[in-house]
Amino acid sequence: MLRSVKGVICQGPKLDSGYFLHASARAWLSAAVNQDVQIPAEKPRTVFRTSESNPANHAEQHEGQHYSIPLQEVKVVFPHGLPYRFQMQMKTFNESCLMVRKPALELLGYLKSTNFAHPAIRYVIYGEKGTGKTMTLCHAVHYCAKQDWLVLHIPDAHLWVKNCRELMQSSYNKERFDQPLEASTWLKNFKTSNDHFLKEIKTQQTYMWTKRESTEKGRPLGEVVEQGLTRVKNASDAVGVVLKELKKQCPLGSFRLLVAVDGINALWGRTALRKKDKSANGGAIVTTLSQTGSLFKPRSAYLPHELLGKEGFDTLDPFIPIQVSNYSQREFESCYQYYLDRKWLQHERASTEEGRKELLFLSNSNPWQLERISAYL
Amino acid sequence: MAAPMAGRLAALGRRLAAPARAWLPGLTQVRWSRYGPSYLEPVVNKEVNRKPLEELSEEEKTQQELKALHPIKATASNVTSSVFSDPTISKFTNMMMKGGNKVLARSIVTQTLEGIKRKQLEKYYQASEEERESIECNPYIIFHQALKNCQPVIGIYNIQKGGKTYQVPSPLKDNRKRFLAMKWLITECREHKHHRTFMHEKLSQELLQAFNNEGPVIKRKHDMHKMAEANRAYAHYRWW
Repeated sequence: MLRSVKGVICQGPKLDSGYFLHASARAWLSAAVNQDVQIPAEKPRTVFRTSESNPANHAEQHEGQHYSIPLQEVKVVFPHGLPYRFQMQMKTFNESCLMVRKPALELLGYLKSTNFAHPAIRYVIYGEKGTGKTMTLCHAVHYCAKQDWLVLHIPDAHLWVKNCRELMQSSYNKERFDQPLEASTWLKNFKTSNDHFLKEIKTQQTYMWTKRESTEKGRPLGEVVEQGLTRVKNASDAVGVVLKELKKQCPLGSFRLLVAVDGINALWGRTALRKKDKSANGGAIVTTLSQTGSLFKPRSAYLPHELLGKEGFDTLDPFIPIQVSNYSQREFESCYQYYLDRKWLQHERASTEEGRKELLFLSNSNPWQLERISAYL
Repeated sequence: MAAPMAGRLAALGRRLAAPARAWLPGLTQVRWSRYGPSYLEPVVNKEVNRKPLEELSEEEKTQQELKALHPIKATASNVTSSVFSDPTISKFTNMMMKGGNKVLARSIVTQTLEGIKRKQLEKYYQASEEERESIECNPYIIFHQALKNCQPVIGIYNIQKGGKTYQVPSPLKDNRKRFLAMKWLITECREHKHHRTFMHEKLSQELLQAFNNEGPVIKRKHDMHKMAEANRAYAHYRWW
């Protein structure tokens, strides 16, 4: 079959020697999957993109390809949570494209087959620095948002735990400290992403904010969020209330909850703020480990046991680990083509074979490193 | 390659012959090299070694034979065989460097290039089809063109004659032009920058302005030209 396909390609238009082998290899791969042979000249340019923008339909044939999310959706689904460099890239390119990768497909498969009657399964995404853990999490969040789940997305647990500019003693528990600023920004973003849910969910208990203000039982959760936004001092209490309500109401089955926490190892480091992880029914908990912001941990630590510590590991245990690694050959090629297409790689030599080999070597197929290097090339 | 080698051999010959003279007080040999006269310069360009045997000219063939017999000097540590290496950028980074902190200087320069590229790409994607062709997105081209635009054509030298110092206009060598352009750019960014702006931001701003032939560095170049024009009368004081 390879010979016949190669025969077709030999008769095709004359290509650069650099692209020739790629074209034949890729044509064979996708011909086997898609069962139609496209014109070889288009192959190197279109293979890194796919028009399938619903994560529910992403399958293995889309692996390595970028799918774009319309900017309007991005504002609603990801008010926070995307990495800073990705946000800058979105602003420059005027579009946002995520790459479909194996760990994400694995996670989506698990999420699709969750049984909502059972207690929530915990997934921990781990991997070396810069391999794409946060992006995998965002892919899962996008899928869940499309499927109309209620998404509780905490962009970076490290922010809640260190470098507090304003600390206040919590009114609930004398040992705990609050962070009003972080809490209020989080509440604002939570509102943007889950607007329609907030009107439906009702509180089950009366909450006293101050002597005069209180939220009665049975009021929509939106009011609690508003309260937190207007009274910044009570913002963290509002966050606590929201979490408690959602935890209680999840098993009732009226909605599905996804708790997505980035950098969960922050919650068990040496910190002042303590938040216990709760069990939740009828949803899923997806977390990532992040070494970048964690305190007192060595640079090369990336395995769950090292980053979580004994206490964290015991609390999270049992969980399904999902490892994210560097780009494969195909994914690297796809990313390279995407950057060339969006004119991100501007250097004359970057589009040559030499340049490509050098990029591969310099970045070691690490997505973060590749992005940083191609930024100045 | 042969001519500088001959020049260096001649200089070395002169130096070797010098001890034959009587020792002169105040004359010590300051500049010396660990490498003897037979050492050849290193070639970093990978393309040179990739040419097949037939394509080599006579000179290159003798060069190859020479390389087989002679030892070769070590390369400087800032020289790479990377396809992306650029001598102008290296020179600029070295001029930016303070206290030997090359890491910081290099990060500033790379962030500047990234900043230029982002600004241009944003403009590109928001422009219409006709305007897109005129927008230059390559930060390296912008960098080189901006430096070229900042280079003065004629310079001023201070010459003392009869107790007074005169500003004498004179043409500049290439190296001096390049140095002045880079020096002006860097000093401009260091001095007239708000203390809360980042260096790479200010640099990218200045480079984009210089690319469009506007901005304070271009003004300084024009001032230099005007001074030279004004002091035209003293041009005959130049003896080189």
